[in-house]
Order: sequence, then C-alpha cells, then structure tokens
Amino acid sequence: MGRTRPKTESMMKHIEIPASRREFLTRSGAGFGALALAGMAGVRGAFAQQSPSHVPTAKRVIFLFMEGGPSHLDLFDPKPLLNQLAGQPIPDSFGEVITAMGEMRSPLLECKRQWKQHGQSGMWISDWLPHLAECADDLAVIRSCVADGINHSAGVCQMNTCSILSGRPSLGSWVSYGLGSENQNLPGFVVMQDNNSQVVNGPRNWGAGFMPAVHQGTRLSEGNQPIPYLNTPEGFTQKRQLAKLDFINSLNHRYADQHPEQSELEARIASYELAFRMQADAPDAIDLTEESAETLELYGINAKETNSFGRLCLLGRRLAERGVRFIQLYSGAGSKWDSHDNIEKKHGDLCRGMDQPVAALLKDLKRRGMLEDTLVVWGGEFGRTPMSEKGNGRDHNPTGFSMWMAGGGVRGGQTIGATDELGLHATVDRMHVHDLHASILHLMGIDNMELSYLHQGRPERPTINEGKFNPKLVTG
Amino acid sequence: MRTVRSVVETLSCVFAALVCWFPLNVRADEHSSDDAMKFFENEVRPLLIKRCYECHSEKEASGALTLDSLPSMLGGGDSGPAIVPGDPNNSLLIAAIRYESLEMPPDEKLPNEEIEVLTRWVAIGAPWPGADSKLPVRTRELFDDDDRQWWAIAPVELPNIPELEPPYSNWSRNEIDYFIADRLAQEGLTPAPEASRIAMVRRVFLDVTGLPPSPKQVAEFVEDDAPNAYERLVDRLLASKGYGEHAARQWLDLVRYADSDGYRADGYRPDAWRYRDYVIRSFNEDKPYDRFVQEQIAADELFPDDVHAQVGLGYLRHWVYEWNIRDARTQWKTIIEDVTDTTADTFLGLGLQCAKCHNHKFDPLLQKDYFRLQAFFAPLLPAESVIADAEQVSAYQSQRDLWQAKTADLQAQIDSIEQPYRDKYRNIAIDRFPDDLKIMARKPPDARAPDEAQLVYLIERQVQSEYDRLDQIIAPEDKERLVALRRALKEFDALKPEPLPIAMTVSDVGPIAPPTRLPKRKDELVEPGIPSILNADPMPITSQPVPSPASPTTTGRRSQLAKWLTDPSNPLSTRVIVNRIWQSHFGRGLAENPSDFGRLGGPPSHPELLDWLTVQFIHEQWSLKALHRRILLSATYRQSATHPRFNEYAQQDSANVFHWRHTTTRLRAEQIRDALLFVSGTLEDCEGGPGQLADASCRTIYTRVMRNSPDSLLNGFDLPQFFSSIATRNTTTTPVQSLLMINSDTMLAYGRLLASQVQSESSERTAQVQLAWKRVYGREPTQVEIRQSLDFIESQQTEVALSDDGQPSGLLDTAKLPYRDGQGLKFELDEAKPQVSVPHHPTMDVREFTIETFFQLRSIASNGAVRTLVSKWNGSNQAAGWRFGVTGAGSRRKPQTLVLQMAGKKSDGAISEAAIFSDHHIQINTPYYASATFRLPTDSEPGTVTFYVKDLSNDDEPLLTAVVSHDIVADLANNHPLAIGSWSAKDRQGFDGVIDDVRWVGTPLGVDAILQTVENENSATVGYWRFETVPGVLRNSTADRLNLRVRGDTIVRLTPDEAAFADFCHALLNSNEFLYSH
Repeated sequence: MGRTRPKTESMMKHIEIPASRREFLTRSGAGFGALALAGMAGVRGAFAQQSPSHVPTAKRVIFLFMEGGPSHLDLFDPKPLLNQLAGQPIPDSFGEVITAMGEMRSPLLECKRQWKQHGQSGMWISDWLPHLAECADDLAVIRSCVADGINHSAGVCQMNTCSILSGRPSLGSWVSYGLGSENQNLPGFVVMQDNNSQVVNGPRNWGAGFMPAVHQGTRLSEGNQPIPYLNTPEGFTQKRQLAKLDFINSLNHRYADQHPEQSELEARIASYELAFRMQADAPDAIDLTEESAETLELYGINAKETNSFGRLCLLGRRLAERGVRFIQLYSGAGSKWDSHDNIEKKHGDLCRGMDQPVAALLKDLKRRGMLEDTLVVWGGEFGRTPMSEKGNGRDHNPTGFSMWMAGGGVRGGQTIGATDELGLHATVDRMHVHDLHASILHLMGIDNMELSYLHQGRPERPTINEGKFNPKLVTG
Repeated sequence: MRTVRSVVETLSCVFAALVCWFPLNVRADEHSSDDAMKFFENEVRPLLIKRCYECHSEKEASGALTLDSLPSMLGGGDSGPAIVPGDPNNSLLIAAIRYESLEMPPDEKLPNEEIEVLTRWVAIGAPWPGADSKLPVRTRELFDDDDRQWWAIAPVELPNIPELEPPYSNWSRNEIDYFIADRLAQEGLTPAPEASRIAMVRRVFLDVTGLPPSPKQVAEFVEDDAPNAYERLVDRLLASKGYGEHAARQWLDLVRYADSDGYRADGYRPDAWRYRDYVIRSFNEDKPYDRFVQEQIAADELFPDDVHAQVGLGYLRHWVYEWNIRDARTQWKTIIEDVTDTTADTFLGLGLQCAKCHNHKFDPLLQKDYFRLQAFFAPLLPAESVIADAEQVSAYQSQRDLWQAKTADLQAQIDSIEQPYRDKYRNIAIDRFPDDLKIMARKPPDARAPDEAQLVYLIERQVQSEYDRLDQIIAPEDKERLVALRRALKEFDALKPEPLPIAMTVSDVGPIAPPTRLPKRKDELVEPGIPSILNADPMPITSQPVPSPASPTTTGRRSQLAKWLTDPSNPLSTRVIVNRIWQSHFGRGLAENPSDFGRLGGPPSHPELLDWLTVQFIHEQWSLKALHRRILLSATYRQSATHPRFNEYAQQDSANVFHWRHTTTRLRAEQIRDALLFVSGTLEDCEGGPGQLADASCRTIYTRVMRNSPDSLLNGFDLPQFFSSIATRNTTTTPVQSLLMINSDTMLAYGRLLASQVQSESSERTAQVQLAWKRVYGREPTQVEIRQSLDFIESQQTEVALSDDGQPSGLLDTAKLPYRDGQGLKFELDEAKPQVSVPHHPTMDVREFTIETFFQLRSIASNGAVRTLVSKWNGSNQAAGWRFGVTGAGSRRKPQTLVLQMAGKKSDGAISEAAIFSDHHIQINTPYYASATFRLPTDSEPGTVTFYVKDLSNDDEPLLTAVVSHDIVADLANNHPLAIGSWSAKDRQGFDGVIDDVRWVGTPLGVDAILQTVENENSATVGYWRFETVPGVLRNSTADRLNLRVRGDTIVRLTPDEAAFADFCHALLNSNEFLYSH
C-alpha cells in the first residue's frame, strides 16, 4: 500500500474547541444569544480545516449534475457516421454492450443538431448550447468518460461515491473530511436541486457512508427554510426561543462540568451555538435580493425557462463566495435528462433551462476572479446510446460519454479523449469515474491514494484504491 | 501520476496533514517526540522521496522492495527487511547506501551527509509519524512463525486468573475484575469508586433493555436494602422482553437488516420482519449462540424440520437488490460478494474484503481465502419458505381446494384475459437481457447449469414485476370485463383461506455447486475452505439428500461452514462474539475493532481476559445471557464514570483502555427515540410483526427500516445505512442535529406530550418540575435546579402571554412524507380529530378545475368507504359537489384506487351522483402524487376526468394517466368549505395517513403544467397549501387569503402556563443528561 498508512480515528473530527472550558464557561455567562452574536471567536467549528497534500489549484467545486444522463452525441461529441448510418443497426464491429432497456439492436438514431466550432480553440458544441458555446475556451471537455452502472441508481451512486454499490461516502464528504470548510457558519458540503422530485437514490447520494454524519452533504432548498429545521418554530418569538436555548445551555454546562471525561459534551454545546449562527447566515447566503438586475438577467432568472436552474447557479456562486467547499447542483432532479423517447423535446427543454445559467455561472465567476480557484464540473451519470429507443429516444450509455471541467486550474479550450466513430465506447484516453474523482481531488490538493479513513479496521480511500489524475486537464 | 518533484515541493503541507491525521498511533516514546518527527519530515522523508522512490515505491517496487512506508521497510523485499530500527549496522538499507552490499542508488553513491541522515534516523529507532512499527507489510505467499503467532488465530486457552494484592483484591467482585485490576496495578492506576445507585440503575436499564428506568423503577432499586438488590435487578432485566429488543439491535446492524431493497426503487420487503422478530426471540430465549449461528447459515441443511429455524436463513437475504438490472451476472456476483463480506465481518472478525483483489497486505490472509469462504455460498439460491407446521399446511390446502373448486370457472375466465398479457410481458421482460441470458431463461429448468439457475432467478424476478403491473397494462375493453369478473370472485372471499406465513430464506441450486474461480485465473477452481493459515486443505464436504420436499438436495457446503463457525476450537468466531458483548457494555471491545481482528484492528487490550471469558462462554453452553450477567455484575462495570484522580489518569490513558472508570456514552438513535416515547408516557408495548411506520408509538426496532428514506431524527443521530455490516456506530455532533432537536415539530411534540403527562400527575408547579426531572433524568433535581427551572418557566410564561398570536397550529400533527421535502399533515381515523378546511370564498367558484396533492395512506377502509383527500361537498346526491379520495376494500368497482366522486347536473337537468375511478392501484404506506382534472363537455367532446398518479418511491415508475368520461354537464360549484382529509360538512369519512401540498387550480391542467412536472406558479391557482412552518402550516402560499382553519372539539390551545411548561420539558429533552448514559 505504499506510502499510504492507515489514518487513525482522530481524523474523524468532531467540533474542536481550542478555547479552554473555563474560558467558555465564563463567557457563556453572557447568555446564549449574546454569546452567539459575539461570533464565538476562537471556535473553529465542526469543519476543521485540514491541509492539502500538494499545492491545490482549486479551493472549491461546483458540480453541475445533469441527472438522468445527457446525450454526449447531441451536445459535445459530434459523430458524422451516426447520421450516415441512421436507421440501420449498429455494425457488429462496435462490440456488444448490455443496455438498460435491451435495445442493442434498435436502429441508430440520427443527431438532429447543427454543429459548429467555437472559440479560439475551435471546440465543437451543438446548437443546443449557444451560451455555453461562448465559454468554449474555458471548457476542458472529456469525451472519453466511462462508468460502470447501467441503471440510474448504480450510475448516480457511482458518480457520487465511486462505487455502484451504496454505502460509501460521497465525493463531497471526502472533500469535507480532507479539507474542511472555509466557512464555519455554513455546512462544507451543500446540495441543491432544481425541482422537488427526489434525485435517484435520494439523500444517500450526498451521504457520508461509513464516515461520521458531520461530513454528509446538507440539502439546501430555496425559500424561507433553506436547511431543514432552520427556522424558529411558528409562534415562537425570538426572545422565547433564545430563553429556551439559554436554559438548555445551562443544563448542558452543568452536566459537562460533572463529566469532564466526555469531551463530546462540549461539542454538543458548541453545535447549538453553530446551529444558531447557521440560522443567521444561511438565509443571507441564499437571499438573491442583493444581486443586481444585470446579474439576475445574466443567469436568466427573469425568464421562465431558465429561472429554476438560473437561481441554483447564482446560489452556487453565492455559496462559493462564502467558502462552501463542495456545491452540487442537480439539473433535472428525478432523472429528467433520461430521454428514452422523444429526446428532441426532453433534451431541448432541459438544455434551454440549463445552458444560459451555466454559462452565466462561468462568466460571473470569471469576472469576479473566482474561476481561477473554483472548479466547475458538468455531467451526468452516463451518456446515451447511438442506438435509438422507442424510435425517437436514446438508452443509457456508460461505456463512453462526455463531461467537462472548467476553472480551478483546468486548461480550457481543449477536448480530452475520444469515443469510437458512433460514440458507443470511449477509445482514447479513457477516464473512468475513478479517474474523474481522482482528478477532481488532485486539483483540490488531495492525493486520492493518500487520503484514507479507517473503517472496520480497513483503510478506505475515496476512489477505492483506483483511479489517477489525468495531467492533460492542466497541461492540455 | 504525481512526480517526485511535486511531492518534495509540497512536503510541508504533507507534514501538517500528517500531524492532523495520525496522532492515535503515536505513543509516548521517542518515536513521537516532536524533534524526531521534525527530523523525519524535514530531512529523512525528502531524502527518501528524492533518492529512493523512483524505484522503490508502490508503483515500481524493484526487488519487491518498497521504501515508502515503515511497514514496507520492515517487511522488506527479496533480500529481507530493509532496516532494523536502532541498529544501522545490521540494516540492509544502510549497508546498501554505504555501498557495502548492494550498491544503492545504483547510478551514484549518496553524498556523505545524506548517508549520515539516514543512518542517524535508523539509529534513533526509525521514527515515522503514525506508523506502527509492529506492522510489517506482507510481501510473501507462505506463512512464517510470525504469522502463526497472530493472536486472533492462536487457540483459545484458559489463562490463569491473576493474583491480586489489596486494595485491588478487595475491589474485585468476579474474575473479570482480577484481569482488569492486574493490568490497572501494572499501569499504576486504581479503579474509580462504585457508581451511585441512581447512576447504576439508569445505566443498567439503558444497557440491558435500551430504555431508561421509570421513576418507580428507580425508587424500587434505590430503596431495596437487600444485599443482592443489584444482582436481582440484573436478572430481572435480562429476563425482560426489553433485553431481546435491545440486544437484537447490535445484531441487526451487523447483518445490515432492512425492510427494503435499497438501490433506487427501495422496494418494501413484506416478509423481512420475520427475521427481525426471530433475532429478538432468539436473544430473549437465550438461544445458545452456536445454534443461533447454525440456523442462520444452514438451517435448511441442519434443521430441515424446524420451521422456525428456517427464518434465521433470512441472514443470507439482506443484500441490496435493484429491480431492473439487466446485467444479471454482475448483479449475482455482487450479491455473493456481499454475503461473503458480511460473513467475514460478522462471524469471523476478519477484514477479508481486503483480500478480494490481492493477498491481504498485513494479515496472513490470501486472496484465495476470500474465495474459499465465498465458495461456501456459491450454490446459494434465494427461496421463500412457508413457515407453518404440517397441520397448518394441510388445513390451508383443504380450504384452498374448496375455494378453488367453487371459483374454478371464474378463475378460468380471469386467466383467459390475463394470460395473453402475461405471455407478452414475460417476453418483453426477458428480451431486455443480453442474448445468452435470454436463451437461459427460456430453457427448461432441468437443462440449466447450476449457475444458470441463479441468473434465471434474477430474470424471473423482473418478469414477476411485469406481472405485478398487469392492471396498468390491460386494455380498457378487457379491463371492464376483468373488473366485473373480479367483483364476482370477491363474493367467495369468505371461503378463501388466509395465506400462510412466508419467510425470506435460501436453499442451494442442487447437489452440485457452480464453480468458484479466482479472478483473472479462470482455470483455477477454488474449493470451499477456511483461511489457509488455519487449514490449507479444502473443507471435506459431502452433499447429502436432505429429507425436505422444498430442497430435495443441497451441496452441504453451508452446514460445514456453520459447524466450523460453531466449533469450540474455532479461535475467531468464539472470541469475536465475546468481544462484541463486551463492547455492548463498555462502548469499545477488548479488541478495539470488533469486526477486524487483524493487525490493522490492533491487538486486544486484555488478551487473557478475552480468552478467559471465551472459555467460560463455551463452557456455559454459549449462553449470551450468562456472559452479559458476568460482565454486568463485575466491579469493573460498576465503576463511576468519574474518578477522583481524573486529570492525572486522563494524561496517561485518555481513552480509558485500562478501565479505570466507566465510559460516558451517548444513547444510540433508537434509544433516543425510545426514551422520548418512554419519558413522555406514550411508548406502547408492541409484539413485532410487519414494520411500523416511524410515527407509531412502538419501540424503534419494530419500525420499518427503509434504506433510502430513513427517519430524520434517527438519521440525525447516526443511524447506519444498512448497506454493509456495521460493528460500531458513529457518534456525531452536528449543527443540523441541534436544529432538529430544537426546532423540529417532532421534538416540540415530545415536549408537549411530556408536559401534559406530568401535568396530569400533579397540579403543583414545583412537584411538576420534580416529576419531569425524574422521568427524564431518573433523579431528583437539586434545590438550585428547581429554582432555575421555576424561574425559566415563569419568564417563558410572561413571554408567551405577551406574544400570543392565537395560532393553534402547533397542535396539528405534522409528519414528513417520504421522498418529499418539508412536512405534511398527519390524519388519523379519529372522530375527535380536528377538521382542516377553508370556508367558501367567491374565488372558489370555478367551472373546471384540477385538484392535486401528495399523500401516503396508512390504511384503506375495509368496506366501501372512501379515504378523503380533498372535498368540497356535503356528500348529498341532491347538491353539487365533489370529493377526491381513495376507495376502500369493498369498493363497487375496484378497491384501493383513486376516485373523483361528484354530484352534478346531468343532461336531464337533475342533479345526481357520478363516481369516476382511475383504476390505478394505490398501495398503503407508499407516497404518491395524485391529481384529478374535471372538464365539462364541449360541443364535440364529452366531459372527462383526467387522473395523474405517480409512485414517488420509485423513480422508474412512470407517471400514470387515466382519462374517463362522465355525464355531468354543469360545474360543481357550491358554498361548502374546501376540506382537506375529510368531508366538507362532517368530520366523518376522513383520511388515515399523511397529506402534503394540496393545490387547487381553477382550470384544467395538462401533463406539462401539473405539480409533479413543474412547480411554477399558475395564475389560475385558487389555493396552494403546503403545511410548512414558513409562512405557516395553515397558510395558503400563493396569497394571504384562503388560509386554512382548524376546527374540532379537541383543539384546546395551550395556555401561556402550559406553553411555558412545554418549553421546559422540551429543554430537558434537548439536554445532554437525557441523551447520555454515565
């Protein structure tokens, strides 16, 4: 296992309180609210920062998850042969794959898109993404992604946790564990989605697996209560709520005093303080009223089609500004990208909803100087087949599909890897999900083989001991 | 891949990280001194990286030697260990860089100062941050003496009981204490004083039954002057039903028991609970552990005639299952690996998973050993077994024959409609698989190879799920006939026998097992066997016919495994269970990693004690209760959590490895929920059976474990996910958990329940405070605590009185709908329950409309009554109105389906009833979106009702539609209120379950505009009620009108006094003294 020792349980950080207990008690005499409002200087919070293993180029990640599997063949990976052979079965030379719906022998489906080259790099992007095309020189499109899951459940699980089987920590949890948060008043790993349908597998996509729950993603929703239970219950005045918190605090301090042997007791006291500060900071983080009309326009928040994902992208930028380490935004939550039939309508609608907001996010980050150290990742759990399904749709294709990265030290204006002539299999520079995760971690300064967590006596690593950083991402 | 250069550049970062990451292994000796570490990080490590790693790191390993960790150096390469710490002159590495033996690095000798650095490093003992020098990495295939001395595989032998001197000898109560005290004496520690009776009674109740004691139970013990009061208490608790309900929890974690499939659809497993009840029963009966293990691994082979033992085979069925995977081969491989992993963890305490892809890096476990264990399960075939004796079976059969005879004609007609659909969809399901699997599925069963039977099992399950959807596929013309036939068939229901109980079990594919092969070595067959270091020969196995009709023959493999696991001489399985029981009382095992006895898991702190207990355990017929009792009666267990010399001792042994005090531990998720129910006086004694919903008042172990939708309270307190075996729960503290405790409706409700319970027992304030205190903490409050509590209640009361805004919403029961955010309204079938409605308003006069909601039913009516979702009607057939709901079991047309029941003007000008059914089957305890759109007839089209329904728990389930015409010609407007969960006019015919988000739009909505598709506001919305705390549970979220009202006799608003006392109780339930045991 090389220079990779089992890390010990001490890595399972809970809340740290560097300030002495005595000092804490003295200060808490001022009452809960006063203490909380004083900002709790010195308390580093639950998300203690770790140091990276090499110089990172990305401080944070915004992962734009197109849930359901967007079609690489209609967005980033043009295949002239596909239209030539449309209507015929796929030639045997392309090899057999197991498809989810068993339509391996269905006729090839033509791509109806117009393709043009964009930017100085001359990157091919289809007419479904006119706004992203303007950002072509910022994108590193990886055309050779490979995953193992044929179904949504396995695919989404793997794209989040590296394994098609559930139970492992998600990428955001590993980042939270490895690097901590830059903001003590917000969770280090935040998830948002563009509608209320459940993402496939539900919250376990952002679960901490076998790690402590402190590293799990927190689902932030728009509206008045971004975090579950954030608001003071209906009918409670602030004064009444604070008095109750104060009383709980005094009960907890007495018990902690009698039980110095249990350090968690202090952590629990601090977590009430942190909860209280979150109550103050989280609504501000998601309040878009501070944003200028121009910004709202840029993200498409005034237009019906782009409003939903536009808000998410803008919120993503606001959270990134506030030091949230890993932000995951779901487009088409509930497998809406899954276009087994009528791909023209389904993909068309989703592209229109996603294109402008994502481009706006890149442009906005760039003009604020944040794109340099913010890694933006775009993609779904798999791509789609060149074969048709139900006449006008495409089935799942994990054996070759496209994702892109931008910012965070990634060299834009390049395509990495290639699929075969019909886009079924990745053939050149294959990047398995393990490699994608290893690369994201690398850009954040984490070596995927160095970061480990001891579970049941076994050192577990984020990419299951596989995967490696693809240096082309930074060198081109 | 990382370059050497970038590693060097970033070493300072690595150092910082290492300090954070490794401290636990750092011992208080020279290895970890700051200076030594700095020396290593600043001088040694850069040198190793610069000079050695190009050839001797994991990627290269020239001469099989890697130098990138201390264990690798100690393990060495082809030429032996690279270093001998403290002895540079006998270290190969030093000799090599001195060019005395091998000349390394080969191109050029190192500068002298660099040689000096490495020599000095070895001389001072080769300190390496975080590394444990006792862990040489394995590079060998064969075992050596060192391997054979691994403590976990050494035979368990009865050690001598240490002799003690006072004061240790006076302190000791039983043999456990002799071992503990001996070690304490060696370490210069003394045990803590005995805990107070008050502390003891709460500790032992929580520990044995999982529940805190009631004030009465506390008093009984504290006031019991008998010298053996404590012994009697322990015996009483071990004999109580609560013991099994608590002890089973640890076992269910290990075997990752759940009531659902996991994966995406997370399908409910209706029969899984029998295993849960089996485990509880086994613990309560004190079933000998060897028998318990044998039943779970091989009851079908070993005890074929014991029907109840078969339920134990459920152990082999808890793997996650995805219902639509077409790659059946990989799916089966995953299942078998999961069973192997769980078995290695649960019974053997071996990290055998590490050996799945390569020989274990630290322990003498070979890759082959993983597959030797897996081979025991190679012939596994899932089965569903009838759990009934011969008498029950024959009674059932004769009744069934009677029923079949009476209904044969009807059944034949039904079959003639259904069979063509079955044939068609069977083919559709099979055709989704790859070609070779299609062929397999269509072969006659006896022509299938053993491994094919397993793949066909997986294919057939997908065929079955098509059959289960038949009703949604059948064409309307056939459907009408089918509905009529089924109605006729229903007439004979009185004759139909209750189905026999079914348990999830396993058998073998037959007497011949499919082959097990090592990955990448396809020609090498692996026979079942135990870890090679214990016995490298294959396990002798004879397949024998088993006299059971369900499985005429099996391979006999699992019974051999079961026998070995329960052989008294098995050094692993015996120690593993004893260590787990120890862990259950002290928070950590004598061996710290209860599911990994390997070198990474670390050696036990008290190896002799572990062995002594193990010998006793086997001697006492594998009785778990006897083991618990011995531990509970020890002086070690009875120590106080605090120690007079705490500060001093904590320096020496902060983790309390030597047991010089008791450990303070947070209650586990289930204990917290159980305790909340218990102290608030609402816990009901339940008897098992199908998993209850989270809002039931049963102990948590009886609630349903749905892998993808855990209860938020339990989840907040580190409930495992049940995807893999868990030996030790996490204990996390997060702000999200604190928010849940302080703000969630659930916790507020517990506060109110506790308050009303206490207030019903006493009307005097001080007495109330004392009562609450005793219920929650099991002790009396001090004078100061009483004073502070009274002050708090008084000031809260003033604040409530000043701020009271008259909102009674806190008294409405809310609950979370699975797969939905936020909260919904909870309804129960209770006449006294309040009615939720909006009075009529002119904006409600709409001609056509769409009514939408999300809901989950807890029950359907046993008669024809409808469970009402939303209504605007008084139920009279003479007045216009409508109601949207779900039909009952006795429905005229179809039970458990959506219905829009209306009364309206027909073409003859008179008002009469029309009931329109969607025909979609609505399951109980399943969350749905459902809508009904009422359209009036036009000149060319008849009036229609359009239903949309979507099972929220299964993303793969499409949005279902039904368009049905009706004969009403005018709108349904009336002046009745719009009511949610009941009739508009009366509090009867209510709903049972949860209703979330209700939207009423005054126009027909197409599929692109319904709530399930988009959540955009619709300009024609009459009202949209979301039941969220913001802007208010009762508020309409689209405008500040049409807010809901609650009326009903039971609405009693809390007075300021009651509200203040509820705040007090809620605060107690938030406090650590409640959440911890000490």
